[in-house]
Amino acid sequence: MSSLSDKSAQEISDLLDEYGIKHGPVVESTRNLYEKKLKEAMAKGKRAKPSPDKTYYREEEEEVTYVYRTPAKSEASGDRGAYPRARQEWNERDYQHETSYSNYSKPKPEYNRSSYGNEPDMYDTPSTYRSTYAKSPPMKSGQDVPDAPKSSRLIPLWVQFVFFLAVAVFLYLVFSTMETNETPKGIK
Amino acid sequence: MSTTSQKHRDFVGEPMADKPVTALSGIGETLGKKLEENGFDKAYVVLGQFLLLRKDTEMFTDWLKDSIGANSRQASSCAQCLKEWCDAFL
Repeated sequence: MSSLSDKSAQEISDLLDEYGIKHGPVVESTRNLYEKKLKEAMAKGKRAKPSPDKTYYREEEEEVTYVYRTPAKSEASGDRGAYPRARQEWNERDYQHETSYSNYSKPKPEYNRSSYGNEPDMYDTPSTYRSTYAKSPPMKSGQDVPDAPKSSRLIPLWVQFVFFLAVAVFLYLVFSTMETNETPKGIK
Repeated sequence: MSTTSQKHRDFVGEPMADKPVTALSGIGETLGKKLEENGFDKAYVVLGQFLLLRKDTEMFTDWLKDSIGANSRQASSCAQCLKEWCDAFL
């Protein structure tokens, strides 16, 4: 392989593009830096193609496939596995929201910890989803109970239900003290 | 709000005009001399390099480290300083 310093500026530029390295013009003052970057990239054996965008989509794809494979890794997807097939459409549609929620799962646990307090950090992610979709999950909770849970989950199903009911009762209490007129019955 | 030094605030607060390289945040006497040896004798020349690297702070940081041996803190401080200056004036 010919040495990088023998290549023309255009060739360096093309190589940088191949490795997906964002760069400016290859001029005297920038050339050294870009040659170093290329050497690092080649040493790492990076794929000589991708743009950062594709990596992002790839992550999304991986998250989506978790729904069907129910790995031990993501508790959010383990959560999804609990609900019956009737809800799969709803899940798939909302998965776009959830991928963004999973990005927000870091700041949210702090908020959840103060409110609920009893569950460890990683359990907060499912509760985040539950509290935001407060309306629809309660209606389905009746259907969830008879459904057999998948074996690979981080916390047992009944714990999730108990926790969910605790959240529902909590919300009910909050609403009943705040709004004197209506107490939403849809929760339970 | 990130903690910025007085030097940073001084630089970012006004057009850089003919300020020396040592006016840049993170660039002291030693690094300033090295920059001058490399032909970067004024802050605006360093700005030129920053712009050539498309205002990419990471790339610029790497360049500073490679060319004058700045450490991570100094380099990122300088990069951030230039970036904010550009956001305000460019």
